[in-house]
Amino acid sequence: MMEVEEMTFEDSLKMLEQLVNELENGNLELDKALEIYEKAILLRDRCKKILDTCDRKVQMLIETSEGPKKEDFVIE
Amino acid sequence: MAETITVTQLNTRVRSVLSESPTVNDVWVLGELSNLKKYPSGHYYFTLKDSTSEIRGVMFRQSRARIDFEPQDNMKVTAFGKVDLYVERGSYQFIVETMQRSGVGDLYLAYEALKKKLEAEGLFDRSRKRNLPLYPKTIGVVTSPKGAVIHDIITTSGRLFPADIILYPAQVQGEGAAESIAKGIKALNKEGVDVLIVGRGGGSIEDLWAFNEETVARAIAASEAPVISAVGHETDFTIADLVADVRAPTPTGAAELALRDRKEVMKHLDTDMIRVKRSLSGILDRMHYRFRILDSKLSPRRAEQRISMHSMRLDELYSRMNSALKDKIGTMRRRFIKTDSNMDLYVQRMLENDKKDLQRYSERLESINPMKVLDRGYALITDENGKALTSSGKMRIGTDVNIMMKDGKAEAEIKKVEMK
Repeated sequence: MMEVEEMTFEDSLKMLEQLVNELENGNLELDKALEIYEKAILLRDRCKKILDTCDRKVQMLIETSEGPKKEDFVIE
Repeated sequence: MAETITVTQLNTRVRSVLSESPTVNDVWVLGELSNLKKYPSGHYYFTLKDSTSEIRGVMFRQSRARIDFEPQDNMKVTAFGKVDLYVERGSYQFIVETMQRSGVGDLYLAYEALKKKLEAEGLFDRSRKRNLPLYPKTIGVVTSPKGAVIHDIITTSGRLFPADIILYPAQVQGEGAAESIAKGIKALNKEGVDVLIVGRGGGSIEDLWAFNEETVARAIAASEAPVISAVGHETDFTIADLVADVRAPTPTGAAELALRDRKEVMKHLDTDMIRVKRSLSGILDRMHYRFRILDSKLSPRRAEQRISMHSMRLDELYSRMNSALKDKIGTMRRRFIKTDSNMDLYVQRMLENDKKDLQRYSERLESINPMKVLDRGYALITDENGKALTSSGKMRIGTDVNIMMKDGKAEAEIKKVEMK
């Protein structure tokens, strides 16, 4: 399985929902349930971390003689 | 000698010269509107110009009723009216009685022709419309680097799901605009954006014209990333709007279509976690119940005590688990759960050992159960109080004893005692 820290938001959320369904439908033993719970917490934290990112980039694509280049864009 | 007149007289004379000259009265003038100001009085003031010259113009409220469109800056019109002089200022202006949009007929025909052509190719088909990605990492925006569109998109997206933005600074009106927009769509696709917003602010049909050109339509249709069009604020649809996967009424709307609301997503996450916790509590409740049943089945006191001790521990575990679930600090919780899960394993193992112990004890108990011995034909002798007499030394001649057998008892009197 992929490391949670590298997963995209969409994949994390998808996996979280899978786990929720597994928990809700499966008549699971406590051990397994706790394992799922632990994983769910990891995924939730991953999603929250992505949601809380503030350092999104706003860039402008500039055509140069060496091809397109990106530079930071600030609204005037 | 030349006469001397006042300024007012001069201006009044010029005014009458102008008003009597058929060459500047009741004429149609072709030009472009600019500096349009709409006053609360209902009068419109503007400049009418062509590439080399300009004239101030006014259209009074009562004349406005004669036109069926809303004049806008950069609009090409033919205006009908006369030149008049404003005596107080000595400036002259064109009084417009009515006007028509110029060149619109041609544009309209071109629009209709292209629309028909692309429609026949199926470029507007519903089946071609792609779903927008739910959580894009990067949005590409093709628009002018100046102006409200990019500003609105950047500001709006700040409160939405965090995504990077790459702007392609495109020329959105005038000569070469369509090519510039198409180039932007291609360039941003190469950058691997997840979704594209293509647009500009509102304006006249001439201003928006690039978005009615085939080059732009083809570029949108060929875009790998789904395209949101955000052209103008008007109800009119451009060809770009028709080809795009989704049409947004405004740049703000486009950002909102591209990105989920942060709070909504957070709420969704919370709901998921509530479901997780509820399921886990359910499982714990079931476990708890099972131990209770086991508890009630094991009758020997010692085992019962041990079981209830474990039951208490389980209760404790349960409540700790519950408080752990409510714990806000993720790391702490994770570490805690791990311990708890180990503890639980331990409890389970203990209980299993207990169960085995209990079985062994109860087998041993069974084997020494005196009543079992009676099955084999032995008898148990007790005194009148039911106390077992295990030594002949305790027998007294003349006393009554009870003889217990496997299927009943008898009373007897001691007649003789012999000791070994």
